[in-house]
Amino acid sequence: MPDAIELRGLTRWYGKRRGVLDLDVAVHEGEVFGFLGPNGAGKTTTIRMLLGLIRPSAGTATIWGLDAWREAPELHRRLACLGSDPGYLGGLTAAQTLDYLGALRGLPAGSWRALAERLELDPGVAVKKLSRGNRQKVGVVQAFMGAEPLLVMDEPSTGLDPLMQREFLAMVAEARAAGRTVFLSSHNLTEVERACDRVAIIREGRLVKVATVAALLGDHTRSINLVLDRPAEDGTFDLPGVTVLSSTGQDVHVMVRGDVNPLLRRLAGLEVRDIAISTPDVEDLFFRYYEGTVAGSEGRAADPPGAGTALEVSR
Amino acid sequence: MTGLTFRLELRRSRMVAFWMAVIVLAYGGIIAAMYPILQENATALEDYMKIFPEGLMAAFGMTGSLVDPGVFFGTYIGSMLWPVVAAIAAIILATRPIASDVERGWADVALGTPLTRGHLLAAAIASQALVLALLALATVAGVLVVGRLVGADFDVWRFAAAAVVMWLFGCAVAGVTSLLGAVTLSRGIAGGVAAGILILMYLLNVVAQIQVELAWLGDFGAFKYLVTTELIDAGVMPWASVGLFATVAIAGWGASLAVFRRRDLLA
Repeated sequence: MPDAIELRGLTRWYGKRRGVLDLDVAVHEGEVFGFLGPNGAGKTTTIRMLLGLIRPSAGTATIWGLDAWREAPELHRRLACLGSDPGYLGGLTAAQTLDYLGALRGLPAGSWRALAERLELDPGVAVKKLSRGNRQKVGVVQAFMGAEPLLVMDEPSTGLDPLMQREFLAMVAEARAAGRTVFLSSHNLTEVERACDRVAIIREGRLVKVATVAALLGDHTRSINLVLDRPAEDGTFDLPGVTVLSSTGQDVHVMVRGDVNPLLRRLAGLEVRDIAISTPDVEDLFFRYYEGTVAGSEGRAADPPGAGTALEVSR
Repeated sequence: MTGLTFRLELRRSRMVAFWMAVIVLAYGGIIAAMYPILQENATALEDYMKIFPEGLMAAFGMTGSLVDPGVFFGTYIGSMLWPVVAAIAAIILATRPIASDVERGWADVALGTPLTRGHLLAAAIASQALVLALLALATVAGVLVVGRLVGADFDVWRFAAAAVVMWLFGCAVAGVTSLLGAVTLSRGIAGGVAAGILILMYLLNVVAQIQVELAWLGDFGAFKYLVTTELIDAGVMPWASVGLFATVAIAGWGASLAVFRRRDLLA
């Protein structure tokens, strides 16, 4: 499958401040690709480079082989986007905003109506009078109202209520079914798990993992929540493949990779009040990467430009 | 695409244009209504004006008799009302399409479509030029229409030509401010610096008129070239001023286009 988006060594510095460092990502045509990370990880910086709003300090961002900075107007004929917290003009109504943006994309007036009804957006209200969630609906409608083959969205479901989040996920699924490529950033882990085919996890500007959601979830790991009668002694869970994600004394949450028998034998010597074992969801995996518990992904200070990175990135 | 954005920019300018037009029409009309009173009391007025230093009078455009239409217009409009109105309108309009819209995130939204940066800014520049032209016309129209109603002998074409000079002055301010906006991407900084430069130039012009030995300072200010007195009184078009303001406007807008096309849009 050809790549819709390709980032090669993509780096951005804001003076001495780190934006993103040496990102290598390929997004295949027709897939839904999630870009996962907390605030400040570099998601928005990456998307702004993809949209040609800022230039990379090093490396390249290409969409269908065209440079995202130099060919931005040409690329925007073939992509629709939604930035984080879009700054719509308060004096325009949602309808006027969408008609204007639609006209710039060559869409007929009112082509947003069906989507607005689906998301229960009142188009006649001035944007300045809309709540945060309703403004976000304007953005979602704006992104989906055309038929561009690529959708780039920065935290698109932020501010939407659960019902609308579900509707948003359905719209993403429909876009994928229509053969469109979707690149979305999020820190909503459930959303990524439900919507995406593949996920990249970004941490402090560096890519720490790119994999399919299925591969991440089926990585022979188990999430185990324990409730003990009394706090375990230090070192109780110092076992191969066992990672303590959280511990508040009697409540312990561990992740086990590979053979669970050593842990079960250790637990046999403890008074266990309750135990719940589950396959981890993306959230567990996300925190695993963010706790620096995966070999090679320990946190490190941002290196200056040119210092390179020894980080192993699985692709 | 540019036409669509041009109409949107005009729509966004309508409140500024409306209220500024109300101000200039009202002020110009009231001043013009007083013109016959000045004519009737010309001798007494000239005796009164003699108590002020000539330089001070010149600094505020009074380089002859206030009964002369050119001096009258230059004193109350050309040296007083228009510089303030043009500066405020030009700064508001010219800091909006780049500096303000990048800060608020609207530039990201608009440029997330096939609209190019060049087309976006060109549409905004065209709307700035049109709004400033309307304001210059309104300023002249207020004086001219009310003046005619009260019997003043104001020449329509000379006043219209004065509006062109005033318009070009406003465009020059907008061009430079637009460039400041593209460089700083901050409405506050761009507007503040533009306003500061204008105030400084105004003061330089006043000092240059009052202190003969410092007359050279006036060469560094735009206000020395914002002259309509001879144009209205003698029909002499100040081509040097026209050329200077047009050059500064085109250079400022052109440079802001060039800078904006290469600029990282850091919100």
